[in-house]
Amino acid sequence: MTAKPDPLIHPITRLSICGLLAAGADWVEFAALRDTAGISDSVLSKQSRVLEDAGYVEVRKGAVGRRPRTWFRLTAEGRQAVEGHLAWLAQLEEAVSASTRDVQARLLPGDRDQPRRVLPPLLGSS
Amino acid sequence: MRDVARDPAALERLRVQRSRLADRMRPPWWWWSGVAIVWALAFACPVGSRFLPQGVRIWPILVTGVAVACLLQWGLARATGVAVATPMLRYPSGRPAGIAMIVVSVAALVTETFLIDRGLLVAAIVVAALAVAAEVAGQRAQLQRIRHDLRAGGGPA
Repeated sequence: MTAKPDPLIHPITRLSICGLLAAGADWVEFAALRDTAGISDSVLSKQSRVLEDAGYVEVRKGAVGRRPRTWFRLTAEGRQAVEGHLAWLAQLEEAVSASTRDVQARLLPGDRDQPRRVLPPLLGSS
Repeated sequence: MRDVARDPAALERLRVQRSRLADRMRPPWWWWSGVAIVWALAFACPVGSRFLPQGVRIWPILVTGVAVACLLQWGLARATGVAVATPMLRYPSGRPAGIAMIVVSVAALVTETFLIDRGLLVAAIVVAALAVAAEVAGQRAQLQRIRHDLRAGGGPA
């Protein structure tokens, strides 16, 4: 699996939908997906349609009595794209936390030389 | 639409959502009761095949057991909103529990037959009851592993 960003999955709502569907369940029901993602019915309908049109999500519709039931699952193509995107995000997260650690290591409490080391580059003087 | 690049906690949010999804995979009481009944039917077969009145066949009991098991899987998916197909085969982390369940069921059926052949009916019934308890515990362990996979995003193989 190659870590690469996917612009279709990048928006946070679609990332939530795809990330939940890629968690390991075979099919996830509409209400379960809506509640766990914390989104509204209309948002889920709209975003799932986009993902379905892209071939990332498979939709199965049924009914229990008069109540309609909609189930979602990732297609093979969708799973591949989600896994690549999540790997890319994990790399991004790691890079951000590494640079934060680096900055924190430079700013040591009780370091008297700190202003002399840190300020000149920030002020643009050597 | 909100963008992940402007929300650095996106992955953390996804972890929380996956944890919420895993928490939904807690079967209701009737599922556990149904599972116990299905295993009880299975382990009643050796006793039933010897002591059922003439003309009563064992296979309808087995067919009923399989039908109830299918209904339970269907009901679990309906109740939780999460369908996990053939957990034994598709979830590698649940495989040890699945293999243990097969070993226990074969061992219990063989032991029951052995005890019934020697006229130890009560002992055979005790073995069957213990096997039902072991199978329910195995099922619980398997579901725990599935919940773990859902949380970690491991998923089926």
